[in-house]
Amino acid sequence: MPLLRSAVLCATLLLAAPALAADVGQPAPAFNLKDEVGASHALDQYRGKIVILEWTNPECPFVQRHYGGKTMQRTLATFDRKKVVWLAVDSTSHNTPAKSKAWKAEQGFPYPVLQDPSGEAGHAYGAKTTPHMFVIDEKGVLRYAGAIDDDPRGRSTTPTNYVEKAVNALDTGKAVSPTTSDPYGCTVKYGKSS
Amino acid sequence: MLAGWVLSLVVAAAPAPTSTASGALHEGRPRVRATLVSDVTQVEPGGTFRLGVQLQMARGWYVYWKNPGEAGLASEVVWDVPRVAVGPLTWPAPEVHRSPDGSITSYGYGGEVVLFASARAQPDVQPPLTVVATAEVLVCEVQCIPARLELTRVLGVGPRQADAAGSAALDASTARVPRAPAAAGLRVTVRRTTSFVPGQPFEGELTVERTDGSPEPLARADAFVPERLPGILTVQATPDGTGRLRLWGKAAPDSSPAPPRIAGVVALASGGAVEASAPFELPPGLTPHPAAAHPPLPARMPGLPWMLLLAFLGGVLLNAMPCVFPVLALKAYGFARTVHADHGSVRTHALAYTGGILASLLALAGAVLALRAAGHAVGWGFQFQEPVFVAVLCGVVLLFALNLLGVFEVTPPTHGTESLVAAVDHTHGPLRSVAEGVLAVVLATPCSAPLLGTAVGFAFAASAPVVLAVFSAVGLGLAAPFCALVLVPGLRSRLPRPGAWMERGKQLLGFALLGTGVWLVGILGSLAGVDGVVRLLAFLVVVALAAWSWGAWRRGVVLAGGLVLVLATGWGALRFGTAPAPMAGREAWSDEAVARSLAQGRPVLVDFTADWCLSCKFNERTVLASEQVQSALVRTRTQLLVADWTRRDPAIARRLAAHGRAGVPMYLVYSPARPDQPEVLPELLTLDTVVSALERAAPAPGALGLSSPPR
Repeated sequence: MPLLRSAVLCATLLLAAPALAADVGQPAPAFNLKDEVGASHALDQYRGKIVILEWTNPECPFVQRHYGGKTMQRTLATFDRKKVVWLAVDSTSHNTPAKSKAWKAEQGFPYPVLQDPSGEAGHAYGAKTTPHMFVIDEKGVLRYAGAIDDDPRGRSTTPTNYVEKAVNALDTGKAVSPTTSDPYGCTVKYGKSS
Repeated sequence: MLAGWVLSLVVAAAPAPTSTASGALHEGRPRVRATLVSDVTQVEPGGTFRLGVQLQMARGWYVYWKNPGEAGLASEVVWDVPRVAVGPLTWPAPEVHRSPDGSITSYGYGGEVVLFASARAQPDVQPPLTVVATAEVLVCEVQCIPARLELTRVLGVGPRQADAAGSAALDASTARVPRAPAAAGLRVTVRRTTSFVPGQPFEGELTVERTDGSPEPLARADAFVPERLPGILTVQATPDGTGRLRLWGKAAPDSSPAPPRIAGVVALASGGAVEASAPFELPPGLTPHPAAAHPPLPARMPGLPWMLLLAFLGGVLLNAMPCVFPVLALKAYGFARTVHADHGSVRTHALAYTGGILASLLALAGAVLALRAAGHAVGWGFQFQEPVFVAVLCGVVLLFALNLLGVFEVTPPTHGTESLVAAVDHTHGPLRSVAEGVLAVVLATPCSAPLLGTAVGFAFAASAPVVLAVFSAVGLGLAAPFCALVLVPGLRSRLPRPGAWMERGKQLLGFALLGTGVWLVGILGSLAGVDGVVRLLAFLVVVALAAWSWGAWRRGVVLAGGLVLVLATGWGALRFGTAPAPMAGREAWSDEAVARSLAQGRPVLVDFTADWCLSCKFNERTVLASEQVQSALVRTRTQLLVADWTRRDPAIARRLAAHGRAGVPMYLVYSPARPDQPEVLPELLTLDTVVSALERAAPAPGALGLSSPPR
């Protein structure tokens, strides 16, 4: 009986332990993931470009709101595509490439949806919500982590887009500010075992 | 006519204003229902009353607290009440929700909650008073569904008339609101124990005391739920004794260097909750040092079964460590003697030996728990920091040795009265096996064998039942090889038959034990200086004299006299002062010294050691002092710092704990490139591991500006 109790306590401790998360100012965790059509994407291969990672899940109302309003597509359109790479990442444990493919066709966005059903990349970055945004500079250093904008409830007509701010600052050699914000949205639906 | 028809149609089609609404449809069913509640049906002009939104969630679904945590969205209620000032929302204490894999924590309410506010009507408030509340909530189970709930209710204006149902719901919710500590007869203090640097980890403490200064027990899990704290990226709390939580987290990279406030809800073991809100400051007189890069608990801790297995294997390996080996040899000798006895008696011996080991390990665990509860920093082998303990142990080892050398026998007296000693202790009795088990444990602790470090480190950071379980597993491991030898029949028959060789062997083992004694004298010397050693040796002479006289005359009266003499000498001689710890040549460790060297661009190797730690001494002699390592230190310009744990030192204990260890040895290599991520070397060093770790830690040659010019 005491053993059972200790096991429970131990499980609580385990749960209380934080997942390792990527730190702003530190090299971004490497990954090598396949997208919805099976093409590989490694962080290394985009050295020299600004990389934007968007944790996503088409089932999440917050993602649906941003795609309904074309927030991501419009943000990407303001960037120089030769300098900036946008990668969506889906760490939902029950997601499949077919679902991502159908959603991409429906929404008509140009960037790949990286498949991370094991949640490995999600945990490495400490992705908590959908959407949760990460901006990585040309040298592979994480420069921004947090929400897409300052408008969790979708009320503002002129929200401040943090990703756009970060990329523009990097592009013009200025310091990124803010470097973090509280991400909002649904929890990333990680599997139990990851 | 037509216009009137259209108008009536519109009126009929518009949803009638209601005081209840439901939303967050999932699979066709609403998952939240909201009701506007008030504690009055008639508002008095100029009077105060309460308004609230009662949220009822479907089973398994929840809405969020004012700090939603790592995901989600805070619930929100906007009031529109003409000529009434409505105050800020009052929030009952939240529950903690975790994603199925445990990586995402959020705070909210399942079941039912009333978010409420106090309201004051202006004197000119007009009847009928229409109260409109708009609640925006995110309702989550696995899916998250936003809901916007518009609630309308009409109240009368006039003499106050209570709404019984509304009052009851608001009172029930008020009871769940965290109280101000003073109102609960408590005092909550928050203090920081480390520096606070943007983007860096920090640590602190939160304590809850009653007015008489005694600690107030806190909830077992999730005792602290933080509010959104500007400037703080994450903060977590782990229990650290009764009424005390250890806070650890990370400052936001763009926070101002001035530390912010810590605010949140503290859950009490009694079921209630109190508010915590205080500036996160260092107490005066405490110098800030940087927090460990790692949380006090290893971030990814293996589970308990794995730890128990490690503890068991560690216990098995302890048998081969130099500090236990003489006892084991002793045991093997006794075992060769008993092995050919009947099986039943052998089994009794095995059980007695195991029992002795388990009992003493559990006693050790108990002492650890008691000291920890008293707030001392303890670790594996802590008892060797107490000189009197070392001295008494030395006496016991000497007695064993003298016994083996044949100075005295403890056989039952052949004549004279049946003494107590005779009744409880004769040479081959199981009690001797118990004593050997105890001695094995006592001597084993300074050898933090490979594997054991992790398991014991885990145990020291865990709760009492886990500590006991891990210590028991170590004990079973320690006893296992002997028990296997005794209880497996095939193994038994392979042992040599007893004979004359055993007498010589026994005497040889006596000398081996005397060697252990020399080591113990060395420890005492480092704790208490030359004066202490002289006192100890004098005491040992008296112990030997008493043993010799017992061996020579074997009378009860001689034994009693010997005991009195030993006790009297012990009382008089074993009073140790403390000697200054010698620290020649190498620099002493401190967090500041580490930071200083790193700031100069030099890697740092920290040797966490103690004079009583044989593994440490072994590593120092064979590896750290070797020519290869010494030249690698020079080549990489590494600063060697020594953290000497021979005597209690809370700063060292804290640093060990920060890396999940409870004892020495521990070796850290800091690189100037990664000042907050030291590499932890294995407990048993090899030349290769050290040299390659130093090379990894050294900055690129060019950066040093003194290496070979570019080719």
